[in-house]
Amino acid sequence: MESFARSGTLLRRVLRPSVLVGTLSLLGVVGLYWLMALRPGTNPALVPAPPQIVAAFIEELRSGDLLVNASASLQRVVIGYVIGASLALILGAMAGWFKYWGYVLNPIIDAIRPIPALAYIPLVIVWIGIGEPSRIIIIVLAVFKPCVVNARAGMNEVAQIYVDAARTLGASKWRVFATVAIPSAIPYFIAGMRTGVSTGFLALVAAELIAAPSGLGFMIQNAGQYFRTDVTIVGIIVIGLLGALLDQVASRSGRALTAWSDVRREP
Amino acid sequence: MSAALRPVSAPPAKLGVRGLTHRFAIGDSSTPLTVLRDVDLDIARGQFVCIIGESGCGKSTLLRMMAGLLTPTQGHVLHDGVPVRGINHALGFVFQQDAVFPWLTVARNVEYGPKSRGVPKAERERLVAHWCASVGLSDFRNAYPKQLSGGMRKRVDLARAYANSPDVLLMDEPFAALDVQTKGIMQEAVLALWESTQKTVVFVSHDLDEAVFLSDVVVVLASRPGRVHSIVQNPLARPRNEAIRVSDAFAAAKRELWSALQAARQLPAENSG
Repeated sequence: MESFARSGTLLRRVLRPSVLVGTLSLLGVVGLYWLMALRPGTNPALVPAPPQIVAAFIEELRSGDLLVNASASLQRVVIGYVIGASLALILGAMAGWFKYWGYVLNPIIDAIRPIPALAYIPLVIVWIGIGEPSRIIIIVLAVFKPCVVNARAGMNEVAQIYVDAARTLGASKWRVFATVAIPSAIPYFIAGMRTGVSTGFLALVAAELIAAPSGLGFMIQNAGQYFRTDVTIVGIIVIGLLGALLDQVASRSGRALTAWSDVRREP
Repeated sequence: MSAALRPVSAPPAKLGVRGLTHRFAIGDSSTPLTVLRDVDLDIARGQFVCIIGESGCGKSTLLRMMAGLLTPTQGHVLHDGVPVRGINHALGFVFQQDAVFPWLTVARNVEYGPKSRGVPKAERERLVAHWCASVGLSDFRNAYPKQLSGGMRKRVDLARAYANSPDVLLMDEPFAALDVQTKGIMQEAVLALWESTQKTVVFVSHDLDEAVFLSDVVVVLASRPGRVHSIVQNPLARPRNEAIRVSDAFAAAKRELWSALQAARQLPAENSG
């Protein structure tokens, strides 16, 4: 009886317009691609049909290559992300809240703001080489920027009324920073951290495309050189899935941290 | 008129204001606007004082200066006869806007002041229990503000201010955003708190009924620039309950206050400077 009820809600969830139309939309893209692959005269090595891509996926999974490459990428992006985001949140919060820290840090933040992290790649390679540290540094830089900009903006937007209330209640400046400014800026921190996931991922793939012995970026680049377009597409899809997974982790932890907020949630 | 009513010697007032003048620049105008001019005021210990005046008369500015949230251009604020500089942590402030921290539960909001002062945990828990009960929120101690109505959030605000054991409470039109019925209930809650704690309250309002229902003394401000027009003693007996609102005495007191407010309004605006 209970399982019946549960399958009923599952069915209702699957039949929700957002899920239904969204799935159809994705299937439409796959269908269009399939039509393109089946066009007469198309080389299946260059434009593999979906079944061939699925076969390549299974092959990569069986050989263990996919797992090795995915975990190499994941490790890099997580290390780079943690370093970049922590540094950015600390410095951004200081710059946005304490006047003199702002005087020191704002010019630096505003100077790096328009520079894409990928522009640092040649410099990082020349200075540090093409090893693992370089790849992580590029990810750190890519994650740092959106996090620091958002953290600072969040601290600038703290409502004066909460600050006044805390001060009249006897809170020290440091306590106002820690217990009023930081919590009320958390929605901004989360926004920066979510953007950081996508920019970090972008930098990861770029860094791995250049020179890497492993990783999803290496995998798609390597497969492309051998005209294994099917493997390249598998790599691209896995990159997409991994990125979506990390974004979910970021947004879910963000939601847990801002459960108190009555701001409308994204669907 | 205000000078005549001020006690000449005697112990210092709980809260005093001396020669308070405040100007600020508006836009890029070269002549600053005088918001308050030469305000002298004494608030006696234990009194419930309302400050009324038409909007823009500087009543909120005056209250913020008493708290030290704003520094006057001239003049100073005395607390027990001692001049105060900067924010006076011995006073509690209840704002017009919703100032309850949305990221803290009701209990954590109420203990915020005591925690800021380093009150030990056991004592803080006692304060939370006591003040949540005093405002009727014992069952909501673990709720977040977003789960509460506007009136309940104001109760949290009051409990938070009282839990910090302030010497004087300053309230800046705290119930202006509430509906009439909730407002009436909150006014009774404030009176109950005042009667049980005997703490001095300075309450800014633009609502005559509110001022008559709550106050011992009403300070009527004239505007442009803001200055004390008159100080009206409220003859209404205590303790007061909801029924007093429809009594003849209430109507008479309200009429007297209304006349004072009208007279203040008819005072010509004076040049800034």
